[in-house]
Amino acid sequence: MKRQIPLMIVLILGLLFVAHVFIPSKISTDYLEWFMKWTKVIGPFAIVLGVFSLVYVHYNKIKRKAPNWGYSIVTLTALVVTTAVGFIWGIQEGTPYMWIFKNFNVPLGATMFSLLAFYIASAAYKAFRARSVEATVLLVAAIIVMLGRVSIGQAITHWIPDITEWILNVPNLAAKRGIALGVGLGMTATSLKIMLGIERSYLGGKD
Amino acid sequence: MTETIGIWIAAFLTLCMFSFLYKDNPFYKFAEHLFVGVSMGYYIPYTYYNAFIPYAYNPLFLKKEYILIIPFIIGFLYWFRFSSKFSWVSRYPIAFGMGMVGMGVPMSMHATVLVQMRSMMLPLDNINIILIFVGTISILLYFFFSKAHEGVYGKFTSVGIWFMMVGFGASFGYTVMARISLLIGRIQFLLGDWLGLIK
Amino acid sequence: MKFSDRIQKVDRRIIYVILLIAVVLPLVFRLGFKTYTTTPVENLYRHIDAIAGKDDMAILMDFTHDPGVLPELYPMDLAILRHCFERNIKVFTISFLPQGAAIIQMALSEVKEDYPNIEANVDYCNFGFKPWSTKLPIMLGMGDDIAEAVETNSEGLKLENLPIMQNMKNYDNIQVVVEISGSSMGQFWVIYARAKFGVDVAVGLTAVMAADVYPYLQSGQFVGSLGGLKGAAEYEQLVDIFAMNGLEFSKKKARDMEWVEAQYEELPELAQLYKYNKARIGMDAQAIVHVLIIFFIILGNIGYFLDRRAQKKSM
Repeated sequence: MKRQIPLMIVLILGLLFVAHVFIPSKISTDYLEWFMKWTKVIGPFAIVLGVFSLVYVHYNKIKRKAPNWGYSIVTLTALVVTTAVGFIWGIQEGTPYMWIFKNFNVPLGATMFSLLAFYIASAAYKAFRARSVEATVLLVAAIIVMLGRVSIGQAITHWIPDITEWILNVPNLAAKRGIALGVGLGMTATSLKIMLGIERSYLGGKD
Repeated sequence: MTETIGIWIAAFLTLCMFSFLYKDNPFYKFAEHLFVGVSMGYYIPYTYYNAFIPYAYNPLFLKKEYILIIPFIIGFLYWFRFSSKFSWVSRYPIAFGMGMVGMGVPMSMHATVLVQMRSMMLPLDNINIILIFVGTISILLYFFFSKAHEGVYGKFTSVGIWFMMVGFGASFGYTVMARISLLIGRIQFLLGDWLGLIK
Repeated sequence: MKFSDRIQKVDRRIIYVILLIAVVLPLVFRLGFKTYTTTPVENLYRHIDAIAGKDDMAILMDFTHDPGVLPELYPMDLAILRHCFERNIKVFTISFLPQGAAIIQMALSEVKEDYPNIEANVDYCNFGFKPWSTKLPIMLGMGDDIAEAVETNSEGLKLENLPIMQNMKNYDNIQVVVEISGSSMGQFWVIYARAKFGVDVAVGLTAVMAADVYPYLQSGQFVGSLGGLKGAAEYEQLVDIFAMNGLEFSKKKARDMEWVEAQYEELPELAQLYKYNKARIGMDAQAIVHVLIIFFIILGNIGYFLDRRAQKKSM
């Protein structure tokens, strides 16, 4: 009941989907339509999981007066205000909801990731060492690509963009294809393991 | 007016984030926590207006498709995730969604393995195609651990390392580019939108 | 302190300041470098351009990105939308991330203000946000009936009643799906929509993932790709030199830098707006910083080798 029935649901629905792919028929099309309709009804409810988890973590921090608990008030206030603004004034362009997005969400999100530029510059100086022949090949390829993707490379000689294109289209392609084939087989194997109930960690819990 | 206020707020928050480069400080912490709250605040109204209303509420309550009461209830079961006693109930909606992996097995096999293999099996009539072929095979063999990497076989698999190093180098070059682009975007905002130095 | 030690022990904040200067100066004192275009970007441009003026064909843009990668991907969003509005190409937009849906609204309103004749639900239709869990059902459902799978647009209007949908049924009416992505690389579209219905797929990606798509470009599973700010700059340029000047795409012309330079002289005022040149202006700074990073790598390695040699000698 707790674990076996959900695993049976995955197996039965999964087998029906395999059949759907290989046996095109009215029944298999109807099955897909039914499944899609139901999934679209179920899907929106999942959002509560993320929101509740966030609220739960920060509420507990405030309740326990954990270190830096004051910032949790900032998080919860931001969550409540953004949500309320969306419900009161709507979510279309020109509403306060979009104003918050442009002036809070965009600068915060974009700047957080832009910090990485400083770290990569620092790492370029302090960590990227040609310690072995292989590492040297990696660095040389990286330098060619870095030059070849900007206009300075083109200005030095047209060979740099040409070699960059060759690197991307030949050795890089071979490398990424080798890895992609491995990943593809891994994805297929994992899907199969989920369907057959061998991989069941997504269900969570112990019993 | 609201636009100007918005730009000043955005500039202040950008600088709060950048202050982390000096060291962790209350301005950064404030901005970081604000970001988490605001980001999550986008999920609820969007999901309500663009998904719950058209996919769940309207068909069930306006079109009176009463059969949809079943997935409606299954959806509610997600909420039991937070009950220590009944959290197992939330496995039902998860399992329902997971059923789709059945389609993933043949489809991902087709798109990510078979088509990629087919694209590799071209007539070996020019040096680049030969290099791609040799490179891919040597990488696949490099990750095949059921045979010891020694002798001629070992030498061939080590060719794979060289291809991978060039591939990783290309990705690394592009990664540097990506990170710098993100910084350029923020500096364009500060210099252009905020200070008006770029037009 | 020895020279090698001094090289090795530079304070990271000095590196940060040098980096900042290298970014700021080219943005303020514009260098005006011209970018060259590459095959994956040209292929996407040509593919989209092929349906100019057709009422029964559209492109579908999937905004799978959030503000974290906006500086790289937003210029792509604007450039593709501008291409479509300029050449009378129908566009559908969708996002399976809430922030992506907000970005759609931002991008549409920014481009639309320069194209007052373009009408919502007639020339383009914003499907808006749909939860991630509905991505597969919608993706597969569109193979049969777009209006039935998506149901409503971002304003909650039924798709089947909208003028733009009168000549649109399913993927047969979609020229290409362009996923502009911060993470997922269009794999879902390739695995499901392309494999099952044969729809063409292309991607606009952050540069981090740009090198990973080459196997899919060679196999034809992606008809084109835009990689990072460089890809966006290339697309901006193609829109300017062809679409804005009312010309058909030609690969030979796109690669002829003298011809390209000449086209810049003829551009209408609209094409000169800062927002439509952002990626190309950014590429000036990108060029300088790449040289700086290469200099950092070389200098750091000189310090490393000097240090290693000194250690060997002392042993």
